[in-house]
Amino acid sequence: MLKMTHLAKVYRTEVVETYALRDFNIDVKEGEFVAVTGPSGSGKTTFLTIAGLLETFTGGEYHLDGIEVSQLNDNARSKIRNEKIGFIFQAFNLIPDLNVFDNVEVPLRYRGMKAPERKQRIMDALERVGLAARARHYPAELSGGQQQRVAIARALAGSPRLLLADEPTGNLDTQMARGVMELLEEIHREGATIVMVTHDPELAARAQRNVHVIDGQVVDLSEEPRFHAHNHAQTARS
Amino acid sequence: MLDIRPILSTLHRHKVTAVLLVLEIALTCAIVCNAIFLVRQRLDWMDISSGIDEANVVAVRPVNVKPTPDMHGRVQETLAALRDIPGVEQATLTNQLPLGGESWNSGLKLDRDVAQPAMHVTNYYGDDLIKTLGARIVEGRDFNPGEYAWLDDITSGRPDVVKPHVAIVTQFVADRLFHGKALGKTFYYDDIPMRIVGVISNLARPYAFDRTTMYGTILLPVHMTEGLGAYYVLRAKPGQSDAVLKAAATRLGSLDPNRIVMTKTHFSEVRDTFFASDRAMARLLVGVCIALLVITALGIVGLGSFWVAQRRRQIGVRRALGATRGDVVRYFQTENFLLATMGIALGMVLAYAINIVLMVNYELPRLPVVYLPVGAVALWLLGQVAVYAPARRASHVPPVEATRGN
Ligand SMILES: Nc1ncnc2c1ncn2[C@@H]1O[C@H](COP(=O)(O)OP(=O)(O)O)[C@@H](O)[C@H]1O
Ligand SMILES: [Mg+2]
Repeated sequence: MLKMTHLAKVYRTEVVETYALRDFNIDVKEGEFVAVTGPSGSGKTTFLTIAGLLETFTGGEYHLDGIEVSQLNDNARSKIRNEKIGFIFQAFNLIPDLNVFDNVEVPLRYRGMKAPERKQRIMDALERVGLAARARHYPAELSGGQQQRVAIARALAGSPRLLLADEPTGNLDTQMARGVMELLEEIHREGATIVMVTHDPELAARAQRNVHVIDGQVVDLSEEPRFHAHNHAQTARS
Repeated sequence: MLDIRPILSTLHRHKVTAVLLVLEIALTCAIVCNAIFLVRQRLDWMDISSGIDEANVVAVRPVNVKPTPDMHGRVQETLAALRDIPGVEQATLTNQLPLGGESWNSGLKLDRDVAQPAMHVTNYYGDDLIKTLGARIVEGRDFNPGEYAWLDDITSGRPDVVKPHVAIVTQFVADRLFHGKALGKTFYYDDIPMRIVGVISNLARPYAFDRTTMYGTILLPVHMTEGLGAYYVLRAKPGQSDAVLKAAATRLGSLDPNRIVMTKTHFSEVRDTFFASDRAMARLLVGVCIALLVITALGIVGLGSFWVAQRRRQIGVRRALGATRGDVVRYFQTENFLLATMGIALGMVLAYAINIVLMVNYELPRLPVVYLPVGAVALWLLGQVAVYAPARRASHVPPVEATRGN
């Protein structure tokens, strides 16, 4: 589903070159639920933005669903983001001027879907996250947990094959975090591939596989995921 | 892909800013519609025909520093000298110029016993005036030499003077007073019955303000005398008006050194002077329109830039969720189109309101409906052009903006 080999990402400013990722290798299979852990600044978010085609990379190769993405132009990348990928951000990133319904609708409109189908999908997605009754509310009128569930509904509504989540519970209390995690597990059971960055060892432990990133490189801990993930995750806050 | 409903609800949440821009567009639309209409009217007015051979007519106005004992002989001698200038078709001495600044007026009565005249007109004097100005006889004839009398004789009050008893009127006067059938009819001028012997196509008067008075003109068989603002008018052969004007001024001076040429002018200058204030008004209105449009465009650019800066993050989020650059540009264009449409709709109502005020206070005609779509299209285009730069900037917000910055 998602395969990076010898991938490098360099951020250049006038004075410094930062290797956010170097010789980064990862292979996420279709239907996997992978948790990515690592210290702050190790390159987790960078990895996720490249994986989600939000950013280009400097070297190496990245195949998404069998396609070498460095060849794609901006419009093709937009189309893939829209159709194959669902994003969940730590800061929820709902559009404050739009109500819940309209927020969930955003990616569906970019897909050019007809109104009745959009409505059906939006209500289904909101039903799943338990917020169907809040469709006319604005983000500011919802709690953090509810906002993140709306964001998940937005990611779900387009039935993406790949769900990318960057610390989806980072801004939530334990209770709410658990609810969000349960939702993700449910989505995973239904067949979606999920890559989730987290520093919460408890959540990482519930993924099928943990990938640990240090200094822009993957340290594969798949042999003994639970144990190691736990240890490293405790040092990671970002 | 039309984003109208979510865009409207977004605007609804930024009501104050949106309303201000809508009002600015509405006001601009309303003022521009009316201003273009006013300019159009001025241009039409400035384009009005004088009814003469404008390109070839020149005029010279002399003043005499000393009294002239034999005025009749002097005028005849001068006219003979002027007609002798190479390139001159015809010359005369007249009391006033079409589109000039001073006019000789009178009231025409159809019935001697009625107190109020039926029509106020201007009267032209001068022999062979029709030929000299290049006016056109539509019906009837020009004056016969025997019908003329000298102006100073007429005004002298001497009982032996035979005053003119025939007149030529314009088509306009013929239509107004005689339903177009003026030939042979009589009107009263100073209680003297005047028979109409000819009808000419419309000849403009001096000192007019609108089309309802412009062609209220009659010609009388009067030999004009110098002084009283009289002009020697000459019609040159095509292309010779410069030389003729120069020669005429010189000849007037050389015939009598005590005669000073006050004014020498091509008819085009007379016309320019006549319409100077209209031209200034038209320029002012065009200036106001341009200023308003520029200010509105700047308002749109300013608000667009502000919104792009304010929405960087949500633009990044939209890009992350699959918006192409084109989608982002279209979002801002659609938003502007909606604001412009609201402004234009309000502006049209406002345009009519302004027009009604102008109609009541300045006797302006009703704003023709065609000016509304013209204003609408102008503002739609202006909006789209103005919003393009901010919209393009918005489309270059990278999708990664969604993940960074917190
Ligand atoms: N836009 C950027 N410009 C320059 N350096 C960046 C940029 N984004 C990230 N970095 C650097 O790349 C490294 C990895 O960052 P990030 O992927 O955000 O780490 P994490 O998410 O694991 O905390 C850090 O050293 C960070 O400072
Ligand atoms: Mg991060």
